[in-house]
Amino acid sequence: MPDKPVPDSDPIVSKSYAAHYAIAVILLMATLLWALWDEAFGMRPWKAYQHVWKDRYTAFLLSARSKSAASQKEVEGSSDYQKLKQNLEEATQQASPHMRELQKQIGDLNSKILSVQAVFTDRRAYVNALTYQIETSTSQSSKQSIQRDLASYKAQTATVEYPDGSRQKYNFEQLEEAYNSLKDQRAKLNAELGDTLKPVTQSKTALDDYVANHMIDLTPTQIGGLEKKVDELSPSIQQINVAEANIVDRCESCHLGIREPVKLTPASMSAKGAKAPDDYAKAFVSHPNPDLLQIHDPEKFGCSPCHQGNGRATTSIEKAHGNYEHWLWPLYTKQNFEAGCQTCHAADMMLISGEVGWTISKGKDLFRQRGCMGCHRYEGYDKEPEELQSLNQQIKTLETERLDNTKQSAYMMKQADAAESNDEANRLNDQAVGLRVANSRIDGRLQQIDFRSHSLMQDMKKVGPNLKDARLKLNKNWIPVWLKKPSEFRPGTKMPNFRLTDAQIQAISAYIWQSGLTDSLPHQKPGNAEHGKELFETRGCLACHSIGEGDDQQGGTFAANLTRVGEKANYDYLVRWIHNARERTRPYCPYEKKDIGPEDYAKKKLPYVFDLGHSKCPNDGHELQVQNMTVMPSLRLSVEDAQDIATYLLTQKKQEPSAYADASYMDDPKLKEEGKKWVRHYGCAGCHEIAGMEEEGRIGTELTFEGSKPIERLDFALFTESAQRGKEPITNPEDLARLPEGPAKESWYDHKGFFEHKLAEPEIYDKGMIKSETEALRMPNLHLAKDQVQALTTFLLGSQESSLPANYQYKPQDTRRDIQEGWWLVTKYNCVGCHQFFPGQDSVLIKMKKYQDPDWKEQLPPKLYTEGARVNPEWLRRFLSNPALNDTDTNRNGVRNYLKVRMPTFSFSDDELRKLVRFFQALSQQPIPYIPEQVPTLTSKETEMARALFSSTAAPCLKCHATGDVQHDAHATAPNFLLAKERLKPDWVERWITDPQAISPGTSMPSGLFTKINDHWVFAGPTPPSFQGYDQDHTKLLVDYIFQLTPEEQKRVAASMGRSTASNAPQRTKKSVTGPSRPPASKSGASAGGSR
Amino acid sequence: MKNSRLAFLLLLALAGLLLLAACNKKENTEQSTSPSAAPAPAATPIDPATVGSLSGTVKYDGTAPKPAKIDMSQDPACKGANENEALIVDKGDLANVFVYVKDGVGNRTFDVPKDPVVLDQQGCRYHPHVLGVMAGQTVQIKNDDPTTHNIHPTPKDNREWNESQPPQAAPLEKNFAREEIMLPVKCNQHPWMKMYINVVKSPFYAVTDKDGKYEIKGLPPGDYTIAFVHEKLPEQDQKVTIAPKEAKTVDQTFKAGGAS
Repeated sequence: MPDKPVPDSDPIVSKSYAAHYAIAVILLMATLLWALWDEAFGMRPWKAYQHVWKDRYTAFLLSARSKSAASQKEVEGSSDYQKLKQNLEEATQQASPHMRELQKQIGDLNSKILSVQAVFTDRRAYVNALTYQIETSTSQSSKQSIQRDLASYKAQTATVEYPDGSRQKYNFEQLEEAYNSLKDQRAKLNAELGDTLKPVTQSKTALDDYVANHMIDLTPTQIGGLEKKVDELSPSIQQINVAEANIVDRCESCHLGIREPVKLTPASMSAKGAKAPDDYAKAFVSHPNPDLLQIHDPEKFGCSPCHQGNGRATTSIEKAHGNYEHWLWPLYTKQNFEAGCQTCHAADMMLISGEVGWTISKGKDLFRQRGCMGCHRYEGYDKEPEELQSLNQQIKTLETERLDNTKQSAYMMKQADAAESNDEANRLNDQAVGLRVANSRIDGRLQQIDFRSHSLMQDMKKVGPNLKDARLKLNKNWIPVWLKKPSEFRPGTKMPNFRLTDAQIQAISAYIWQSGLTDSLPHQKPGNAEHGKELFETRGCLACHSIGEGDDQQGGTFAANLTRVGEKANYDYLVRWIHNARERTRPYCPYEKKDIGPEDYAKKKLPYVFDLGHSKCPNDGHELQVQNMTVMPSLRLSVEDAQDIATYLLTQKKQEPSAYADASYMDDPKLKEEGKKWVRHYGCAGCHEIAGMEEEGRIGTELTFEGSKPIERLDFALFTESAQRGKEPITNPEDLARLPEGPAKESWYDHKGFFEHKLAEPEIYDKGMIKSETEALRMPNLHLAKDQVQALTTFLLGSQESSLPANYQYKPQDTRRDIQEGWWLVTKYNCVGCHQFFPGQDSVLIKMKKYQDPDWKEQLPPKLYTEGARVNPEWLRRFLSNPALNDTDTNRNGVRNYLKVRMPTFSFSDDELRKLVRFFQALSQQPIPYIPEQVPTLTSKETEMARALFSSTAAPCLKCHATGDVQHDAHATAPNFLLAKERLKPDWVERWITDPQAISPGTSMPSGLFTKINDHWVFAGPTPPSFQGYDQDHTKLLVDYIFQLTPEEQKRVAASMGRSTASNAPQRTKKSVTGPSRPPASKSGASAGGSR
Repeated sequence: MKNSRLAFLLLLALAGLLLLAACNKKENTEQSTSPSAAPAPAATPIDPATVGSLSGTVKYDGTAPKPAKIDMSQDPACKGANENEALIVDKGDLANVFVYVKDGVGNRTFDVPKDPVVLDQQGCRYHPHVLGVMAGQTVQIKNDDPTTHNIHPTPKDNREWNESQPPQAAPLEKNFAREEIMLPVKCNQHPWMKMYINVVKSPFYAVTDKDGKYEIKGLPPGDYTIAFVHEKLPEQDQKVTIAPKEAKTVDQTFKAGGAS
């Protein structure tokens, strides 16, 4: 066979793999480089941030420094600074010769001490060694022999060579003495040096303080420090590590400006010439609320407990912010960042930090005001029913126990009588007696439970009205119309829309109607609508209620809008309601679970009287619910005034009550059972009192930890995918408008998206599903506005089970707890509708048009900025329980009877009174119990002086303050001085009269009545001649005088001012003409009634 | 051989490219120093030779109720007669109307006059009842009564204060930083004592006298909105054009019924 010819191109020989190798090498190298790059930069994006930060912050500081230098120059230019600087120079000059002398002496001494020390320490060491030998040697003889050695050693002399060349010989004791005396000398000289330098250091501190106090921004030196710090920054992970709370937050690796003491905005951190701030600039801002950081030290709290996100991640923004799948705690968005407060502040109803308007506080308040807690349990809300239920349970157990004991003891006594031995009889009798004593203990315990129940029943409120009164109160035909869509009749109402079918509406109306009480109401005379309108607008109704719709709406949103109340309400009922909303038709016995009527009282031959003073059940002696469970207080109006207001309110309608379609089917008994089913199904009893459903539980899920539910457990139903893709399922324009950020544009598959959609359109997760009537979602549409959805979402997002240690929870045990508890009450009763508790917080009234007029401004309820420091807490308790401060004459204010607006009687329980008084005391840092300051008794000369000043034309006190003289008080704008003694704290009064504007800005009482002369407060105007040579505080004198003012003295003063009731009478009536816009003088209830 | 060199070259090129990219990045980040603020466009200066003036009479259309007499017997130190000044009309001329250039001066700024405007309390009455002042200008408040007054402005956009001024006390010197029209001032001790301060940014304002007359001088030529403001009546605005050196007359009438 011939050899095969060698092919021209043998692939083994001729084919080159160079290209393959090249590609492989390139790939390998590229991978290597990529790996290296990734290691250095890719996985460490924060490095780039730190580089950019160094450049931008340095540039920022540079310009800040020049600004700061300019303002420092300005400060240094002031004469005060120059004076201080001169002081410093003088002090330095004065001190320097002595200082130099002392410093030289100390220097000399130091070298002397050194030379002595060199010899002394050597010898002392030897002495110590010998002493130790004596101590440790065992034989007496050796002890003695060493003792001798020691003595001889001590007697030996040693030579010390001083720096000046002189030599001195010392034995050991002399040496020790020389050494100590030299050291004493040095200490003395040092002290002297300190004394000499004292004026210098003092004036230096004064100078530095002056600069620091007068520079608004940082001083150039401080900025220099920052520059040094940023210059020294080398790229590294910045980390907060709190082992105790398992916090590891590396956020500051990129957010380097967060804790800087200067204000850094995205604009100020942008690159030069950049049009819009880039990601770097946005990341470098300083914390927008440095005050918050002050009270939440990042070294303890880190970042993620408030903001969430993944504090440990450093590889990308998404990771660090926790915006990736399966991370349970993504960063709170800008709109909901306050959710983080809830982590530790769940027990707080009101969060305050310098400013107001916290979204989270609003959400927490809405959760209560809108009745969410009627269906959803939430820890901390509406605690009374649960406690009451457990108390009722306890009552039952205790009563059974008592009965058993009685039986048992009777049985034992019987046994004892028939016992065989006396011993046996005595033993049994003792046991029987023991059981009887046990029963008396049970009685005591029951009594305590009843007291507690009494308080709880007073405190327990329902968001909606008592529907047992439906028949007495409502226009029957209106009920089904209302149920159809409540917001149609009354936009903004708390009553949500349950999407009921017509059949359901008919059934529910029928049940409500047929289960209602049928008692008769006292018939009321018609009132004067015009007077009623005036009262309605001035007594304070509008602090909670609103009237008018759209742009015409005025008043508060805490309670119902009354624009159409005339279409639904029954006059007789309305009068009773306005006169005292707490007045109940029949008391309810939670023990027997029934409404108690006159027949029950008659059985026990008791008068049919029930109120807070008569709250025992005639049947079983336990506490009755004797009030309507409404927060609406009594304004202590006369019946006539209540009739006038009711008459006015009934004119508020858009159509006649008779125009409603007939709904006589509501009397159909067949519908009742069906209705009951639906009333129960929808949990109506969560917000309303409904006959037969007093003990119904909540129908919704508990929301205390709703925010930490894994996303998979939130039922997006058919919309999981749309949510992930950012599609908007809501189509109803009304509901779309409720979404805080408008229709979805990006993925909303998160807690925020779920809550927002649920709140905007609760039935959305039923869309496309086939469900029966009873299976459909029950959550009603609360017709919330955007900001309300945002607030509630924030609140729910923050409702998380915290992994932080318990001591991170803000649950103080000191007076701060009083503040915490107080806010729950302040918001419960809407005190903020009328009062301001801190500057910047606007009450409802203060924003109303009427109160913009300067004359009406004087008519605003008092600001309570320093209430705890102002009033005696015991007086405050009395005032809160009866603001008329009088048991019979109640149709007035007890303190400011010149105000048209009325401080209502809230019928607070003892428990709530205690909490409120403590709240005010704690808010003003006042100790409890209060021990009144002793006010010295004035001498007759002092009294005369004070009286002279008090009544002089220069001192205007009695022009504005009420005196009890009816004519004068019609124009008073301040309380009667006679109240001061019991009501006020003397130290507060003194601060008040020196500068009232500092305590209550805008008050009618002017500042500048007193000036400080020679460290004493002196009246600013001309003083009576008797003040010649008086060198005490005039303020103190007046306060002491006010605190011992008697009615007689007040009359004397009025008389000395040429004022008497008789001469004033005709003039006053004329005067009311002068100011047309001035609030008209109050008409007393009696005269208002008589005028008709 | 040739191919492997190629590979090496490629590698080099790649490395170079990477290096370049890295350098670029650095350069990008380095170009950042302090941002510069755009200077505000300069205002056209006022040429005194071309300025015009604006004057006129303000009328009240309707019959004004006779001002009510004020009874001041509450304080015997209040001497003289006093009547309600809320609506002062004499033969149809309306006094106490504040007239000012509401719009049209553009971004011009004006020096704040060194001289204070004086508010005097005499006979338990404010003189004048309506006052104009430039923002930042001193208002000197005097008390010429033998009784103590307190001065209590209740502003919307300025800081509120309330100070006592005893007889013979030194004048109070105050100023208001922000523009505010019809800022009410009252004395809490003499509730009838009321006046209004108008704080404006330009010197172009006037208050009508008892004949309803006002005059605003020194207006540079231009288009303006002139506002007529009365404490009780709704504000009236007028657009006017001032030609160089023109002395323009602009009258205004307030209709009755607007009074509250």
